[in-house]
Amino acid sequence: MKKKAFSAVLAGAMAVSLLSACGGNSQPQNIADVSSAASEPASTVTSAEPAAQEMTFVLNNIPDGLDPTVTNNSFAQYVILNCFEGLVTYDSTGAVVAGCAETWDISDDGLTYTFHLRDGLKWSDGTDLTAEDFVYSIQHVLTPATGAQYVSMVTDYIKGAQEFYDGTGTAEDLGVKAIDAKTLEITLKQPTSYFIDVLSMWVYDPIQKATVEANGDAWSTKAETYVGNGPFKVTGMSMNENVILEKNENYWNADSVTLDKLTFRYVLDQATALTAYESGEVDGVISIPSSDYARLKADKAGVQTSPSYGTVYYNINCSVAPFDDPLVRKALCLAIDRQSIIDNVVQVDAQPAYSFLAPGYIVDGKDITEGRSDYGLSATADVEAAQAALAEAGYPNGEGFPTLHLSYYDNDTVKKVVEAMAEMFKNNLNINVEVSSADWGIFYDSVVKGDYEVCAMGWSADYVNPMSFLPLFKTGDSTNNAFYSNADYDALVEQVMTESDPAKAAELTMQADAIASEDYACLPLYYKSNSYLMHDNISGYFMNASGGLFFKDVKVS
Amino acid sequence: MAEITAQNKWEPLAAQTADREKIWSKSRTFAGDVWFRFRHKPTAIAGFILILVLALFALVGPFFTAFDYAQQNLEVVNIPPIMKVYQAPDGGYLYITTALKLVRVDEHGKLQGQLKRVREEDAKSMTIYDAGGTEVALYYGGSTYVVADEATGNIYPSRFIRNGSYLLGTDSLGRDVLTRLMYGTRISLMVALMATLVNMLIGILYGGIAGYAGGAVDTVMMRIVDIISTIPLTLYVILIMQVLGSGLQSIVVALGSVYWVDMARVVRGQILSLKQQEFVLAAKTIGSSPKTILLEHMIPNALGSILVTMTMLIPSAIFMEAFLGYLGIGLQPPLASLGTMCNDASANLRTSPHELLFPALMICAIMFAFNFVGDGLRDALDPKLKK
Repeated sequence: MKKKAFSAVLAGAMAVSLLSACGGNSQPQNIADVSSAASEPASTVTSAEPAAQEMTFVLNNIPDGLDPTVTNNSFAQYVILNCFEGLVTYDSTGAVVAGCAETWDISDDGLTYTFHLRDGLKWSDGTDLTAEDFVYSIQHVLTPATGAQYVSMVTDYIKGAQEFYDGTGTAEDLGVKAIDAKTLEITLKQPTSYFIDVLSMWVYDPIQKATVEANGDAWSTKAETYVGNGPFKVTGMSMNENVILEKNENYWNADSVTLDKLTFRYVLDQATALTAYESGEVDGVISIPSSDYARLKADKAGVQTSPSYGTVYYNINCSVAPFDDPLVRKALCLAIDRQSIIDNVVQVDAQPAYSFLAPGYIVDGKDITEGRSDYGLSATADVEAAQAALAEAGYPNGEGFPTLHLSYYDNDTVKKVVEAMAEMFKNNLNINVEVSSADWGIFYDSVVKGDYEVCAMGWSADYVNPMSFLPLFKTGDSTNNAFYSNADYDALVEQVMTESDPAKAAELTMQADAIASEDYACLPLYYKSNSYLMHDNISGYFMNASGGLFFKDVKVS
Repeated sequence: MAEITAQNKWEPLAAQTADREKIWSKSRTFAGDVWFRFRHKPTAIAGFILILVLALFALVGPFFTAFDYAQQNLEVVNIPPIMKVYQAPDGGYLYITTALKLVRVDEHGKLQGQLKRVREEDAKSMTIYDAGGTEVALYYGGSTYVVADEATGNIYPSRFIRNGSYLLGTDSLGRDVLTRLMYGTRISLMVALMATLVNMLIGILYGGIAGYAGGAVDTVMMRIVDIISTIPLTLYVILIMQVLGSGLQSIVVALGSVYWVDMARVVRGQILSLKQQEFVLAAKTIGSSPKTILLEHMIPNALGSILVTMTMLIPSAIFMEAFLGYLGIGLQPPLASLGTMCNDASANLRTSPHELLFPALMICAIMFAFNFVGDGLRDALDPKLKK
């Protein structure tokens, strides 16, 4: 009896494996027999009643926090961008437009920006939002105890900010002043042509003094104390489960917001999220399992692709031996078959990257990265050149090279890429590779501390300007987790920051890019394009180049 | 009628004392008795044979496969064991991968790598590939994906073919599922062996000492056991991983540090009842040391319960390892255990179910085998069930 049961199990297994491969018995002869018109799958039933303006969107990673003044974590941006609005914001074309500030004037020397706030700005709890709130928020960011991860985005530009942060300057000297309740004046260190782009980052979002002072750091962890000023307000927040957003009636443009309720649900497993999406339980998912990408795209199941200004790269810790040797880094860069990773592992439409600086910034109708060098790298692995570089660094045929530690954060796609890369390092360089993973929070913590050798990383530009990439390898910058240091590079970046002529700035940018890339400051993999899933009945959403998804114009039909 | 009753069918035999005293059933030792009953339980024997086969599969199997468990071939990812192939105009066969690429397959099902993509025909829902000089179209606009002639739309003849390169297909990084299954089974059996050793060494001795010493010693020792068994194992593993780093050693240490508590309880109970018996008193009387009494007299007598408990604990240890692997705790890639294989496969469950099916079946088979053997042993060791 038990034996029979066992063979039944086996038979069942065989049937399943056969089913996965075969569709039916009759063999179609022409593509007309299988075309969608002949066998249209039952579409979702559309009711006559107007659809409830509610939707659920799945996120696959849990952010380290939702405090806009603290986090620089892209996983947090979906909540932050929809609950807060800074002086400027994005429109559906991806351009930076007026947000809380209706208009602004720039002084002739390019140093003083005067913002005129809109009438009737309110916090989500109904209290008035004034220019003082912006001053408070920036001072909060500049308080070391806040632990703002984006602090350099303020200290690099605003006059007196670095001194305020270091404790040597006072609020009087800080270049952020409220002239009156509706006028804010920001004074810069040096003329910066792209300052309005920088301002679009959420680190410049206002936060409410009352809730921060009453609740301390915990204000951003509970729905009741999470006060914002954006199109939506948070009405429910359960750790690691979901964040529920509802329309904010106190938003200055609340009349144009149609969506009543937006639920962000955290589902860490991409396959589970996809199942929920395909059964119609959720309306959208932020990432797509790589092995289902082709199928979903062919089935026209709602794959949305949006151009992105970002790069997927691996940080190489330039401060520890043997990775402080550019030749070792070169060998690592050469040993990777980028095309194969893109086509077979990640399975997306992406461009192989040879530098950390992504294309996409256009000056005078021409992409500034056009015609740049490939820095000796190619789409496929160059094993001989990699071996030669490693031998030149003193490790012929990988002999004597210590075990390479490759760390990554928990994510299905990243895991596959890391496994594929580990195998390429092993086979192409003949070295030992050990991989280890951790939760994003723990992982990022050790990356910031420099407690890693090679780690998975990626950068989505915070604003569409190469300056959002350049600080990544600038000595002492808080985002320089590769601990790369080069005086020439630093000098060039300083020059780009103060250069007001875009064409000249672009030229300097490309020189800086060449310095870092010729030193192989990191291991570039591919240039990102963001793809996500959204059902056809949702319209009006848009994604900016840094991957932020805006729901303020969404309609459900 | 009278004639029949007159015929007496019962005749008295010549009675002899030797015959009368003879024990007609075969006399067997205890071990022989147990073996006899075990052997006559089909499920137990099936389980026993299955364990032997699995051990052979895990230990000897890797010598017969052409692949290493970590060896990747990114050209052929997510290929199932049985493929639906289309016959290209040049006579070769083409398989459509889950990523909608075409892989060339020869007539024996051997995979020969991806075809080169020529261009995309979005309007016609076709991707054109170069198959040995001729262009073939992968049509993805329909309910099933097919390979067809671009101009006429005629679908090339198709048939099912067994995967000749990878018997059980490949996973999402083009690794051989069969080879990884062997290594996964190896880890499961290693965990089984480890659980056995820990039970034998720590569990029996600890329980034995607690039971034999009794009194305050017993109370303290058993409270320690209670404390250990109330802390969840997952927590142990995570904590131990912080110290030892993730890997097999953490799982082994974690399982080793807790998997003896049930055994200790069982042995203590047995010893408590055995120490009241006369043979223990006799041993004490002739001056045997407590060590001799415990190891040579009492534990052999408790062996029945020990064996049964052990065969029940082994599958639970194996399952625990697989479960931890499935949660993503434990082994670091590229090492494969059955649990991590299931975990990796669950991401592409919809397109490549075979990647989950085989490791899951293997876990089932191992659990079946050990449970059957445990079941059989319990029956065989129970004297009340003597036939």
